[in-house]
Amino acid sequence: MDGDDRMNDPTRRRVLAGVGAAGAASLVRPAFAQAPHALQFGLAMPLTGGQATYGQDQVRAAKWGIDSINQAGGVAGRKLEAIVLDTQADPQVGIQDVNRLVSVNKVPVFVTAWSEVVKAVAPIANDSKTVELSVGANAPGIAKLGEYVYTTYPLADVDVTAIARYSATKLGKKRAAVLYINNETGIGGANVYRRAFTRAGGKVVAFQAYDPHATDWTGQILKVRLASPDIIYIEGLVADTPQLIAQLRQLGLTQTVSSYSAIYNPNLIKQLGPAAEGVIATSLAPGPSDNPAVKAYLERWMKEVGRAPNGLPYTQYLHDAPYLIAAVFKEMLAKKMPLTGEGFRTEMLAIGTFHLPLTGKLVISPDHTVQKPVYLMQVQNGTWKQIAVVS
Amino acid sequence: MEYVYALIMLMALYVILATSFDFVIGYGGLISIAHPVFYAIGAYTSALLALDFGLPIPLAIPAGAVVALLASVAVALPSLRISGDYLLIASIGFQLGLLEAIKNMAWTGGSGGLTNIPGVSAQSGGHGPYVVVTVLLAIGTVLLLRWITGSSYGRAISALRDDDMAFSALGRNGMMMKVGIFALGSGLAGLAGGLYAHYFRFLAPGQFGIMQSAALLTMVVVGGMRSIWGPVLGAVVLEALPQAITFLNLPPSLLGPLQGILFTGLVLVFMFARPQGLIGGGDVWRGRAVREVRDVARP
Repeated sequence: MDGDDRMNDPTRRRVLAGVGAAGAASLVRPAFAQAPHALQFGLAMPLTGGQATYGQDQVRAAKWGIDSINQAGGVAGRKLEAIVLDTQADPQVGIQDVNRLVSVNKVPVFVTAWSEVVKAVAPIANDSKTVELSVGANAPGIAKLGEYVYTTYPLADVDVTAIARYSATKLGKKRAAVLYINNETGIGGANVYRRAFTRAGGKVVAFQAYDPHATDWTGQILKVRLASPDIIYIEGLVADTPQLIAQLRQLGLTQTVSSYSAIYNPNLIKQLGPAAEGVIATSLAPGPSDNPAVKAYLERWMKEVGRAPNGLPYTQYLHDAPYLIAAVFKEMLAKKMPLTGEGFRTEMLAIGTFHLPLTGKLVISPDHTVQKPVYLMQVQNGTWKQIAVVS
Repeated sequence: MEYVYALIMLMALYVILATSFDFVIGYGGLISIAHPVFYAIGAYTSALLALDFGLPIPLAIPAGAVVALLASVAVALPSLRISGDYLLIASIGFQLGLLEAIKNMAWTGGSGGLTNIPGVSAQSGGHGPYVVVTVLLAIGTVLLLRWITGSSYGRAISALRDDDMAFSALGRNGMMMKVGIFALGSGLAGLAGGLYAHYFRFLAPGQFGIMQSAALLTMVVVGGMRSIWGPVLGAVVLEALPQAITFLNLPPSLLGPLQGILFTGLVLVFMFARPQGLIGGGDVWRGRAVREVRDVARP
């Protein structure tokens, strides 16, 4: 068999080789077709585990944001694309995810949330000069995690201070009890509340921590009852705070309950029923009555998912994060800058002010904090009503 | 490359942890699941010495191992003196208590953990050599434990495990040997902790809890208890498998349950289908059965 014969002879090995090559080409082609054109960023959120209910809604919101940007022509003609990875809200898993985003996908920017994950991956962001955007975590320490860690979400100092002052000055409450979860979010927020309430002329008469895995809070609640507060502030998580409020009511505490943005959620009213009446929460994003785009966004949720999102304000921030990223990418492309984390950070700070569809004006400041109006919401007759806006 | 480095790093650390845990629980027969707390002691000691006292990393890491070793002796001495089973209770109590203390102390970073711990940075090109050193230490750990278990001292350990009364009747000090086994295993866990702290540069008490104990136990059971290479294989497979799954791009509705049942499912499968693990000493459960028969036969 000469060379030409060999070329024309369809032996099994040659057929298999051809099929293999074709298969490999079909696998590789999409990557080659998309990679040079799509502008990629990382999205590391909890998609499984205890926080998945919230993480999945936030990722859905971010994908809607990306779709809208791409439908409007993308970023200078290029598609925006998120590489979504599951952190399980676990720091170690988050570290692996971000290592992959930084070293395998080589993204210049990634979005993440949940305070412990944000904190755990900060050294990777700083070392690799990749911008970490914390979208939703509110532990006050996030502002000091390094030069490549920024937040688009106001930290606890903003809304917790606002609700503490409002309770002491406008509501006339003088004795507050603080119940807080013993983790990064809880300790940080509880300390901010105590400081702000005391400065506003009130007195914190009980300051009780509870274990993150607790399902019964009788001990802490009885101590709160003994202290006779006239308002109770809870710094917990979205998952445990409704149960804690239910137990407070079951044990006969009728005082006003207040909390931060984690409990501003339609599910709270569903879960608690009448026990939710009077609960005050903060929201750091405009509601449907403040912004028509938010109204349309909520209608889309009802139409496509059949319910309101879990943690509405958080999903608004996640929806808007791709718009911020797109704006920075657009400027970088216009200036023909290399798409590096270093360049992204420089350009993000140079732009400074972003006007985002669902959360409004956002100023990224060099001190790594964000200031926003605080919307105070209260459950009245089975629905959340806005009672004040604190600048 | 950083992703691969991190993966190799975790595999090497888990090789140290799983083999040292097997030395304690498999070879030594000392029932304790609190191995991660000594990992935590090594990690926190090393991190705090470097962070607050500026101790160079090559000195901070061994210091962490020594503190973990001393802490294990402090736990083992009173609990082993009463009875072997009390070690399980005492060590779990020590694990939960210490982690609770770490959560509530400001200087340990509290429940939010410590971040930006001094360490090697990827930018300075330090990760590659650091990973090589860790892999060498993992190999060194395996060879050290292989040497110990294969020596006459290793045979004495087996004798002690199988019948401590007969062992004591021969005039040997069984309790000191148990303390020694526990201390060496825990010291190696402390070494792994120090290596972890300066590479990943973040520590939180939640990383060293009961879930970590379950993960280590799974590595030992799946790989093969009381074998040198079993825990090595268990550590490598169980560290690589969850990462491999993420590359399948499965939907979250499938990924969540899959990751959830991975560890527990493997333990159940191996307990029933292959109790000796992938590379197990064949007498793992047989030894127990013989002991049980002997106990029943006793008046």
